[in-house]
Amino acid sequence: MRELTIKDAINEALHQAMEADPDVILMGEDIAGGGGRDEHPGAMDAWGGPFGVTQGLATRFGRDRVMDTTIAEAGFFGAAVGAAMTGLRPVVELMYVDFAGVAYDQLLNQAAKVRYMFGGKQRVPMVVRTVVGAGFRAGAEHSQTLYSLFTHVPGLKTVAPSSAADAKGLLLTAIQDDDPVVFFEHKRLYMTKEHVPEEAVPIPFGKAKIVRAGKDLTIVAIQRAVQFAQEAAEALAVLGIDVEIIDPRTYSPLDESAILTSVAKTGHVLIVDESYPRCGLATDIAALIADQGFDSLKGPVKRLTAPHTPVPFSPPLEDAYLPLAPKIVAAARALLRA
Amino acid sequence: MITDSPRFEPFSPDPHAVISESGEWIAPFDLDLDDDTLRGMYRNLVLARLIDERLVRLQRLGKTSFVAPGAGHEGAQVGIAHAIEIGRDWLYPYYRDTGLVAAIGWPLEKLFGQMLATRADPARGRQMPAHPGSRALNVFTVASPIASHVPPAVGTALSQKIAGKGDVTVCTFGDGATSEGDWHAGVNFAGAQGAPIVFACENNRYAISVDLNHQTGSGGIAAKAHAYGMPGYLVDGMDVLACYYVMREVVANAREGLGPALVEMAVYRYGPHSSADDDSRYRPAEEVAAWRLRDPIARLRRFLERRSLWGDEAEEGLRSEIAGELDEAVAAAEAAGPQDVDTLFEDVFAELPAHLERQRERYRLARRAAGEDG
Ligand SMILES: Cc1ncc(C[n+]2csc(CCOP(=O)(O)OP(=O)(O)O)c2C)c(N)n1
Repeated sequence: MRELTIKDAINEALHQAMEADPDVILMGEDIAGGGGRDEHPGAMDAWGGPFGVTQGLATRFGRDRVMDTTIAEAGFFGAAVGAAMTGLRPVVELMYVDFAGVAYDQLLNQAAKVRYMFGGKQRVPMVVRTVVGAGFRAGAEHSQTLYSLFTHVPGLKTVAPSSAADAKGLLLTAIQDDDPVVFFEHKRLYMTKEHVPEEAVPIPFGKAKIVRAGKDLTIVAIQRAVQFAQEAAEALAVLGIDVEIIDPRTYSPLDESAILTSVAKTGHVLIVDESYPRCGLATDIAALIADQGFDSLKGPVKRLTAPHTPVPFSPPLEDAYLPLAPKIVAAARALLRA
Repeated sequence: MITDSPRFEPFSPDPHAVISESGEWIAPFDLDLDDDTLRGMYRNLVLARLIDERLVRLQRLGKTSFVAPGAGHEGAQVGIAHAIEIGRDWLYPYYRDTGLVAAIGWPLEKLFGQMLATRADPARGRQMPAHPGSRALNVFTVASPIASHVPPAVGTALSQKIAGKGDVTVCTFGDGATSEGDWHAGVNFAGAQGAPIVFACENNRYAISVDLNHQTGSGGIAAKAHAYGMPGYLVDGMDVLACYYVMREVVANAREGLGPALVEMAVYRYGPHSSADDDSRYRPAEEVAAWRLRDPIARLRRFLERRSLWGDEAEEGLRSEIAGELDEAVAAAEAAGPQDVDTLFEDVFAELPAHLERQRERYRLARRAAGEDG
């Protein structure tokens, strides 16, 4: 069975979506690379973004459909809204989620609200692909996740795959969706591999994945934390603790019942997220469980997140910052008094 | 016509230059810099180049994670550095300006401390590499989001205007940055308010892989000044003296209350966009080679040699002196050691709030339990 990295799975999803639907276009900085310099061999499709995710698409589909934009996120996000309203399905790339600030109004007040403010008579089928995550030695303004900034906004859907097959299937769904979707790609997961079906099979939103089944403790893990939780689960298994890992995969919509069902089974829950804790996803999910799963709890709802500080560049500080497996093991043991 | 003081025309079709490629003085005014100043400028050009080479080496050795090479930009950066009053004026640089902050005298140990995130870094290991800043020298800490430092620079200039002491702000950026909304918002506000600020564009014709003609329909950057009601100057950025003289004029104008200006310096980046880039995939090698022939260091050297102010011996002496300084600075920056993990929680607010104190305590206990420090 062929295996693909997350990076290649996303690239394949984009190829297949553009092949299947001529209305799908891509916009972003350097997504083709070398725009306009046909005289330079290879310039047509030189770069494919800082991680090479969009490589090959400009060559295949031409620069009208794979546009290198000016450095003006507000400009091309807003342009995507207008284009999405009039028949296209733009997929725009925000090079790092940290730069969301300069484009945010177009998402917050246009993309997310046009359908509502039009009385349901106008759709905005656009996707924002963006890169998130710490652990890249890139400091405070290139390492954030910011899932909650988008999940907080009614009218936006948010998706954060932690595996290659999910990345492909969820991106296909995002592109077909008639509402704006923010699709988070974790820079430290791009090279993780698994079997990915060759066909274009969309994966529905709002369906969590049970990454590992277990009976003693539920770990709800957010994107890269799935990897940390898997490592921790191995170590905890040796201690006789049987962990169930839930990856919600989409945060808006959120598969509440999968989380509550798992908690009902294990009675203990730890939510792991590398994001800031205040008003973050871990906090949101903890509130859900406290609110609707209280009767099945045999202990407190626990969150393990980054501290509530910006992401530092200094390597020892950044390592201390992340909720790596040893911290999950310690938190799980404390929770189960084991 | 020889005029007694330099005055440059805004919106000239050709870039202003004061020394020719072969090192002759070609300006219609007399040079008014003494020999030591000229040699000082030359030293700063070489210093910037050698720092750049050293940083690339450190990155390849895995000692730092990111470098934004500045080779080819030195003429613009050193010209700016010599045109401001260091520690009085404010500087808002961008990530390619390591040579600029070195030229204003930011101690090299700090510069390398920043790149390596050791205790020698006055910013305490918080900023990604190539993002210098100095409170002591009035240098804003470099912002990663392109052009987001432009409006704050205007705010600093407004504050200087209100203070009325004749201090000014200089804000630098690349050509690509002029596409951002923040850039336009800031420059327009400065124009409307007559803020004492100089916007200095280091135009290297590329924003990562995207060339200037796909970044803007205006052909150049200086022309944009028209719309904001300020003079725009096009300068040969490979001519450090031209950069210096134009900057000196617009800085003096801003000081006197004549308002802002935009200066476009035509430079070229010899290397990749950053350590994560491969520029050979989008730029013809011949183009790079042609620009390298116009090197700002070689050009000033020819000028100095014509005046018998420089020669091989001086060159050799200077390079080995700087190499020694760099060795020392890197060693000192490394010897300072890594940042203490406890500092992670500081400086989020002026005082450590209770929630961060609790988190810090939990981290300490966890580290102790895991057998790490103490
Ligand atoms: C808001 C924002 N968008 C995108 C980026 C990614 N990015 C970093 S540097 C760069 C190119 C900037 O080019 P230019 O302003 O011409 O300066 P140069 O690097 O050429 O010196 C881009 C797009 C960013 N840092 N911030």
